[in-house]
Amino acid sequence: MSTQKTALFEEHLAANAKIVDFAGWEMPIQYKNLKEEVTAVREKVGVFDVSHMGEFFIEGPQSIDFIDFMVTNDIKSAEMKKAIYSPLCREDGTVIDDLIVYKLEENKLMICVNASNIEKDFTWLNSHVSKFDCKLTDRSSEFSLLALQGPDTIKTLKSVELGFTFEDIPYYSIQVGQDTETPVLLARTGYTGEDGFEIFGPHAYIKALWSKLMTAGVTPCGLGSRDVLRLEVCYPLYGHELIDDITPLDAGLKWTVKLEKSDFIGKAALASYQPKFRLLKLVLEKGIPREGYNVEKLDGTKIGEITSGTMSVILKKGIALARIDKNLYSADDEIVVDIRGKKYKTIVNKKPFVSGGHK
Amino acid sequence: MANVIEGLKYTEDHEWISIEGDIATVGITDFAQSSLGDIVFVELPEEGEQLEANSSFGVVESIKSVSDLNTPITGEVLEKNNTVEEAPESLNEDAYGAWLIKIKITSTEEIDSLMDSKAYTEYCEAN
Repeated sequence: MSTQKTALFEEHLAANAKIVDFAGWEMPIQYKNLKEEVTAVREKVGVFDVSHMGEFFIEGPQSIDFIDFMVTNDIKSAEMKKAIYSPLCREDGTVIDDLIVYKLEENKLMICVNASNIEKDFTWLNSHVSKFDCKLTDRSSEFSLLALQGPDTIKTLKSVELGFTFEDIPYYSIQVGQDTETPVLLARTGYTGEDGFEIFGPHAYIKALWSKLMTAGVTPCGLGSRDVLRLEVCYPLYGHELIDDITPLDAGLKWTVKLEKSDFIGKAALASYQPKFRLLKLVLEKGIPREGYNVEKLDGTKIGEITSGTMSVILKKGIALARIDKNLYSADDEIVVDIRGKKYKTIVNKKPFVSGGHK
Repeated sequence: MANVIEGLKYTEDHEWISIEGDIATVGITDFAQSSLGDIVFVELPEEGEQLEANSSFGVVESIKSVSDLNTPITGEVLEKNNTVEEAPESLNEDAYGAWLIKIKITSTEEIDSLMDSKAYTEYCEAN
């Protein structure tokens, strides 16, 4: 399969981005300096091109009923214009993807899904939609998507010419900026733990916006810094913390499984499920934990594996999320990470490594 | 353009080697440090360890990646640079000053097969 390019590919090259293949897309992994990108988002403002992500629209009288039945979180009770994070599960409770549902109107929802799962998610949703009075459309190819993240986001959005009046909407909600055929949508969501907006829009609009943001001095940020930022605040990533054969209850996402709401796919399985795994947050005084490294007890028993690991730019220490076998670990166990045969002491954090500044 | 120093030998994995008598000093090149980005962790072998040519003797890590350090030379580790382990960023600041290990040379043939500064410059340009 040939790789795809976002509408901003030439802009990335002009900004000296290092390009990598990510889920079949040629994406910027890093521009000038990863540390500076992370710091910009934590202290000022940075922008990510995440146009590879997928956008599906559901329209019709039963749009909300349909999506509420498909995902584990509660879509029905959420207010209009809200964004809702949720896993999408199979009948047996295993995770197909994690996504965000945007309640645009009573009869219209948008969902934003991971680039690597666009086909899988669409096929799954499409195989159930006929029982509901609504229409499902994959409109991913119409949209570019920017994530503007950091404490100076609002200031920046007020300073650039958007073509409409910018409203300071609450965290995890969405507004329609331009009601064009492919609309411009502003959502106060993101993947960094900082305040910020994700801006969906037609390619030409987003290209023009990117250039205005560059002129305004916003730091372009790649997928490398995005991964460090999300890991510092312990957000899961599909393919790492979330995988095809585990349930949300194995990955610290109990809060997204609303067993008290009406029937949904996976409800019966999840209601009686005893989690096999738990996700631990690990900090190392020395050494950098990486994906796939073993987590062990002091006697050498393997209890799990690192699912994501990096050096934290903010803490300047190795940090990781690890999938641990629930039956092999109890909270007072001392544990180590095996890094190339050497055992490195690790501390289990209760809270995320960094507390983001989002509202 | 990355800095290449005359008089040193170079490997295809972007290590530099300086020879004095029967001692080889090994480090990573300016090209290597610049493509790695911020170096945040270095792991080196202990003194006395026996190294085989073209095998890994340690790692350098940036925030997002782990890279093997390879020796082109067979021999015993005479010394390692503790300063670099304590301050990995010194590799970004001065790649040719921040040496990694010193090896006792056993075969001069291994040295003859390495690139000189001119060949290495061309190698970098081609990559």
